[in-house]
Amino acid sequence: MGKGTGRLMHSIIDAFQFIGDNLHFMLTKTVEHLELSFAAIGVAIVIAIPLGVALGHLHKGSFVAINASNMGRALPSLAVISIGIGFLGIGFINVMVALVILAVPPMLTNAYVAVDGVDPDAVEAARAAGMKPSQVLWTVEIPLAVGLMFAGIRTGAVYVVATATLAALAGGGGLGDVIVNQATYGTPGVLAGALMVTALAFLVEGVFAVIQRLLTPKALRHEEGPVDVLLAPAIEGT
Amino acid sequence: MLVQLAQAGPVIPTFQRGSTCERENRHFCWDWFSSHWSNTFVPRLVEHIELVAIAVGIGFVIAMACALIAYRWKWFDGPATGVFAFFYTIPSLAFFQLMVPFTGLTRLSAEIALISYTLLILFRNIVTGLHEVPPDALEAAQAMGLTRNQTLWRVELPLALPAIMAGIRIATVTTISLATIAAFIGVGGLGQPIFNAIQTGFKTQFIAAGVLAVLLAFVADALLVLVQRLLTPWARARVG
Amino acid sequence: MRDIAKRAACGLLLTAAAALGVAACGSDNNSSTSTGSAAATSTTAAAAAQPGKGKPAVTIGTKDFTEEFILGELYKQALEAKGYTVNLKKNIGATEIIDTALTSHKIDAYPEYTGESVATVAKRNEPAKTADEEYQLAKQFYETRGQTVSEPTPFEDVDAIAATKAYAQKHGLTTMEDLKKLGKFSLGARPEFKNRQQGLAGMKKVYGINNADFRQLALGVQYQALDSGKVDTANIFTTDAQLASGKYTVLKDPKGVFGFQNVAFVIDKNKLAQLGGDQFMAVINGVNKLLTTPAITAMNKAVAIDKQDEATVAKQFLTANHLV
Repeated sequence: MGKGTGRLMHSIIDAFQFIGDNLHFMLTKTVEHLELSFAAIGVAIVIAIPLGVALGHLHKGSFVAINASNMGRALPSLAVISIGIGFLGIGFINVMVALVILAVPPMLTNAYVAVDGVDPDAVEAARAAGMKPSQVLWTVEIPLAVGLMFAGIRTGAVYVVATATLAALAGGGGLGDVIVNQATYGTPGVLAGALMVTALAFLVEGVFAVIQRLLTPKALRHEEGPVDVLLAPAIEGT
Repeated sequence: MLVQLAQAGPVIPTFQRGSTCERENRHFCWDWFSSHWSNTFVPRLVEHIELVAIAVGIGFVIAMACALIAYRWKWFDGPATGVFAFFYTIPSLAFFQLMVPFTGLTRLSAEIALISYTLLILFRNIVTGLHEVPPDALEAAQAMGLTRNQTLWRVELPLALPAIMAGIRIATVTTISLATIAAFIGVGGLGQPIFNAIQTGFKTQFIAAGVLAVLLAFVADALLVLVQRLLTPWARARVG
Repeated sequence: MRDIAKRAACGLLLTAAAALGVAACGSDNNSSTSTGSAAATSTTAAAAAQPGKGKPAVTIGTKDFTEEFILGELYKQALEAKGYTVNLKKNIGATEIIDTALTSHKIDAYPEYTGESVATVAKRNEPAKTADEEYQLAKQFYETRGQTVSEPTPFEDVDAIAATKAYAQKHGLTTMEDLKKLGKFSLGARPEFKNRQQGLAGMKKVYGINNADFRQLALGVQYQALDSGKVDTANIFTTDAQLASGKYTVLKDPKGVFGFQNVAFVIDKNKLAQLGGDQFMAVINGVNKLLTTPAITAMNKAVAIDKQDEATVAKQFLTANHLV
């Protein structure tokens, strides 16, 4: 075991060396990775949030909205990409579509649950004060729901960044290109790619956490750590 | 009809021409799929299920043991979570490859990685489930004179069962997804046709393997929900 | 509670041990060992016809493209017909990966291209002048490293640069030299190609082609990328089935930057001895002898274009030539 861990430590040092020696290349790949990820996250937000908010506001479609995240979580990511290659061929678009499909469910469910679950008293009070439903939505429901909604976006975003490594298998570029090519980049390369993907995922998680914090009304804040974000589906699933 | 070259050359048989669907690489060639169902897809499906069953089974035993330890000795919780979370964040494509120098291009390599990925979810769900046992139940058990052992096995674990089952469900579904990637180091499973298809661009293979994996995941998920409902009828009807 | 925790810890250790045991037991149960190949029902009854009986199993690997899959199946079925037990691990990866698998004994043998052996594995830069010289260089190299090689195949499968016919006609491309005439052009290839002497690095050195914009492609999608215009030119293999369609122009390589690439079966020397040495090699050589360019191209076409299984195609070929 000592020899194994010694080798591993050596490899980790080699990995950092690799990043240093190939900085421009690794940064290019990182940018590709982020472009793909954010394109997918953006499209997923545009699809999931309005839909989830609308359904939550109307208190309709709960079965679909809530089970969306369960079904989405069950989707094997490589399988979705594979079906995508079958219908859309290789390249940026195909992988983006697959990533959107994987990101929408947690965003949709959280948006729905967030708006649907807004304190009924607050909604009542707003109606009693004479507000129209659309006003209630924008001035009461959304502000109160934004925190939980953002938790869903955060979960989806982290998932996309991690899964975008598979893009390499479908011609989508990104850091996965390094991880699948041990032939060219060696073990240090594979490790370097893995380290950078992990770092990116944590970075994205952190940024979204900060945004979530800023958007959540103080009274509703409860601190979630990165592990909780990793396991958000688990908490929902009980 | 055999094509004969010069005396010394080999005999080149006339190979079967693919159907129009196959040669034009249309989206889905049903004939190819049905003729390959039992000799290709069924074995891959069985391999896949084996990979997942072993990973979740062993992962569960390890996670349960660690959870019990963490439940008893609180200081263990943090480090265990940290280690398991660390495994969980390693990109799977990298994890499988990194095992190869140690344990070869074998199922063992794949299983080590797959088991590692289940540990975080299972561990956290079991620990959370145990911690969420209502204090009233514990007091009642104590009042009834149950030993610590008996309390654990007859009260705490059963009450933690919903959380544990939820963990198993998520771990299973996640492992099904990751097991498709395991084919990258050649251990079979439904990912194998996908990686092979990358060589030829054969659309039917991509779609067939992908759809089968998705179906497997949905079926497993549904079955586990059923098991969850059967084992814990007292759990109030939760969403999902 | 102490009791439980102790039991848990013990259980943990036992499970870990059991896990390793179970998984290790299943470890050789590999996807690619196809069931029921008719090989065993050989009609010649003499024990001499089954030299493989009683010998240990041999693990053969293949690289990550169609032709290698076919080669793997050919060897496997021919060996099984002679009573050997074969574990075939397909799709291991590119040269660098599979060679590591060989030297670290994860596999015992695999089919390798002689030019690759010299340029990529042995890392020698002097180009060979004939195919035979290339083979001898490869053989000498492997012998110093504890492996040995079979006789080479008649066919060669060389790297080449191809463009769509339209593009080639438009820019007047017939040989590699012509690429210098272009302004910047994109070249799609698998990532290993970029730094190899029998790759882009060699193209720069030998032909002075410095105007290529390298685009990384996963192996297998070169033709899709050419068709869709994603790349102007791509690195292809000369025995690829897609070339028969006439849609592509393969650029000539007069200076031989891509070397000579006949296939030789590389196997660990010790393992070969365990398997019966010459008798084992005789089977491999028997297969290699038959692999002319028309033969391998026909098989590539059957698998890549007509979507036949490589196992079926290999069996048909071997049966027609009485090796199975």
